[in-house]
Amino acid sequence: MTVSAPAAAAPLRRLLRFIGPENLSLIIALVLLVAVIASQTEFFFSARNLFNIGQNMAVVGLVAVGMTMVIVSAGLDISVGSIAGCASVVCALIVSQAGSVPGGILGGVAIGLLLGLVNALIINYLRVNAVVATLATFSAFRGIAFLIAPEGRPVGVLNESFALLGSGRFLQIGGFPGIPVAFAILVGVALAGHVVMSSTVFGRQVYSMGGNPAAARLAGINLNRMRLWIYAISGGLSGLAGVIVTARTSSGQPASGTQGLELEAITAVFLGGALLAGGKGTVMGTMLAVLLLAVLSNGMNLLGIPTFYQLVAKGLLLVLAVAIGQWRMAASERRQARITAAGGGV
Amino acid sequence: MTAPLLDIRAVGKSFPGVRALSALSLAVAAGEVVALVGENGAGKSTLLKILGGDYRLDEGEVRLDGADVSHADPLEARRAGFRLVRQEPEIVPDITVAENVFVGEYPRRRLGLVDFAAMRAEVRARLSRYGFTGMLEADATGRSLSPAQTHLVEILRALQPGVKVVAFDEPTSSLTSDEVERLFALIRRLRSEGLGIIYVSHRLKEVLAISDRIVVLKDGVQTGVLATAATGEDEIVRRMVGRELVHDFHRAETTRAEVVLEVEHLSSRWHRDVSLRIRAGEILGIGGLVGAGRTELAKVIFGALPKSAGTVRLAGRDTDIRAPSDAIAANIGFAPENRKAEGLILVRSVVENAALAVNRRLARAGLLRTATMTAAVGPVIRQLEVRTPSLDQEVGKLSGGNQQKVVLARWLAAGPRLLILDEPTRAVDVGAKAEIYRLIDRLAAEGMAIMVISSEMPELLALSDRIVVMRDGRLSAPVEKRAATEERIVALALGTAADPARTPA
Repeated sequence: MTVSAPAAAAPLRRLLRFIGPENLSLIIALVLLVAVIASQTEFFFSARNLFNIGQNMAVVGLVAVGMTMVIVSAGLDISVGSIAGCASVVCALIVSQAGSVPGGILGGVAIGLLLGLVNALIINYLRVNAVVATLATFSAFRGIAFLIAPEGRPVGVLNESFALLGSGRFLQIGGFPGIPVAFAILVGVALAGHVVMSSTVFGRQVYSMGGNPAAARLAGINLNRMRLWIYAISGGLSGLAGVIVTARTSSGQPASGTQGLELEAITAVFLGGALLAGGKGTVMGTMLAVLLLAVLSNGMNLLGIPTFYQLVAKGLLLVLAVAIGQWRMAASERRQARITAAGGGV
Repeated sequence: MTAPLLDIRAVGKSFPGVRALSALSLAVAAGEVVALVGENGAGKSTLLKILGGDYRLDEGEVRLDGADVSHADPLEARRAGFRLVRQEPEIVPDITVAENVFVGEYPRRRLGLVDFAAMRAEVRARLSRYGFTGMLEADATGRSLSPAQTHLVEILRALQPGVKVVAFDEPTSSLTSDEVERLFALIRRLRSEGLGIIYVSHRLKEVLAISDRIVVLKDGVQTGVLATAATGEDEIVRRMVGRELVHDFHRAETTRAEVVLEVEHLSSRWHRDVSLRIRAGEILGIGGLVGAGRTELAKVIFGALPKSAGTVRLAGRDTDIRAPSDAIAANIGFAPENRKAEGLILVRSVVENAALAVNRRLARAGLLRTATMTAAVGPVIRQLEVRTPSLDQEVGKLSGGNQQKVVLARWLAAGPRLLILDEPTRAVDVGAKAEIYRLIDRLAAEGMAIMVISSEMPELLALSDRIVVMRDGRLSAPVEKRAATEERIVALALGTAADPARTPA
């Protein structure tokens, strides 16, 4: 029996192990995509463009970290964009009327957590399927966002230090445009998410309940309590995403900027290798997929491909990603069938 | 001599790196029951899949009633008259029994509408014709069926007009002894009607009881064709494993120690006034028919199902177990009957599955590394000789016996005071079975209190220090090891024996 890899792995192998060998195909796809785009336009590798990509990833990326957790637990959260809309309005109201930036940020995240808890409560205690429950709150929360925005209109926020959260940068040296603050936040959240999912009891339990809820329950996992945490985290991260949208646009937006976030986040999670049935998926895979999607959309912009085509391309990519996943699973099952039929013990 | 009904000639099949079947020849005559035995991986499933058209053979020839079906696809194999009764049948949960029986082959009326009335009538006719009246309702939904009823649906599917050869794959693994008798009556009837029967089973007593000839496979090679009347278990086992195997397992008598589990006057939706006691180092066997409430009793004690009255005491202290997490915290372990549905997270690794019950204990400030888990459960997995290429292997890819060992490893790692095992050797091959028995025996010797629920009479008799029998949610008085016989347990399960005072077990 072989147990784990040798301790003295080459740096490259250690990097691959950190990212996860199952994500190799994503990396290859990313490299190919970058090669194609870069061959068409020199501007792609310019510092300013890379800065833009990093900046554009942040909002979807934050939502996708939470979505990874939800989907691995065999759930789904369609309401994330609406939650972000609510958070954006709440955050803008606090910053513009109370003048408190930390208060605004906390308020936005807190309303996200709260709405996430509402999702979990509906799923747990009204026994509504997660897809249906969050489809309902997808609509309801968007309505609430418009209701709390005075006259249903965007709430302007004129606060320079708050705006830094959306468009600020650091390490700006010479011609180097620096690192976007929002991107740095994403990196921090993603790393935290990675650690939680891979190296905590909580993370293990998320994988277990997603893989087989009945077995997880008999192994002592309280599924309802897990769901409260999972949907609250997803809601909280969506709230944070809403806060960043507010900072970037200098306004609390009930809809604009957060519409369609659920689609992009779910796309990224599946593209990143998660199973709809649950039990599989990694934050690393999701982040690579977010990067892939950001590069794709950036590249198509640079090449002057109209937005409508981009939407079609993203849809195709999702189908392709899931189809490849299915194909790989079927291939592995076929291999397995042969082995079990032939050899019994693997 | 007339040509055999099913004639398999020198069939071979290889998969990358493995020779699954070599030059296998086998003939089944009309009105003959041929048993196919061998350990897991011996090639039985491969042969059944070739016959059913799921696999293509590499060499050789298969003839069914004279027609060449060597390269038949699943539909052609069915049309030629071959039917397989699967061990774990696919049942559609939301349609009726009648629809499940005819799924894919619905009888039609004019305009192409499905003829539900004809379907129901036919199912009822088949049930009464083969002696299963009252065991299954044609209108029941797939979801509501017990494992035994599910199996019956699969049998009804096979009994379509035009069937010539029926293969049963481990047909008795979810049946009680009474149901096994009914199945045997069915097989004898099919035999008398001139069908050819292939009977695949790990249970040698049954094989000896029902078959005319026994074909033994080992590593894809035929190691014996035995006339049932002239052979015995020892010879079959020797040919299966190539070594003598102590299949009659006996435990030493245990000394009496302190009581670990004390259940008093427990009632629930499934039970009435159940009382029992298990001491440290003792194995209490629970017999009874499938559906008598044995699994539910285990789940009520474990907190997975609610109780309505009664007390559960552990080591002399009252407990309030309302969820499995409470039971685990109180040092109870439970290995459920259906390990795929309730025991294992199939898409996760061996390590993760084995560490599931000790995660919290292993973690430091909530942090738990894979290396920590590996260090904790690796030795247990090695000790149980789980055959897996690595600890990171997905559990779903292991064989049945090895999957069961992973479930056991989980509880071994947790070291419970009370371990509840529901059908611990269901669908496990002979070799792994003996290992699991030795393990259970050792755990008891180390002082664990163990409750074993089993429908396999020899298993129950060999493992248990005392046996209680459940019938319709009530427990019989305990039967001591010395007084326990197969007849007595069966009589208690069926309610044909007078049960002395219902004193606490």
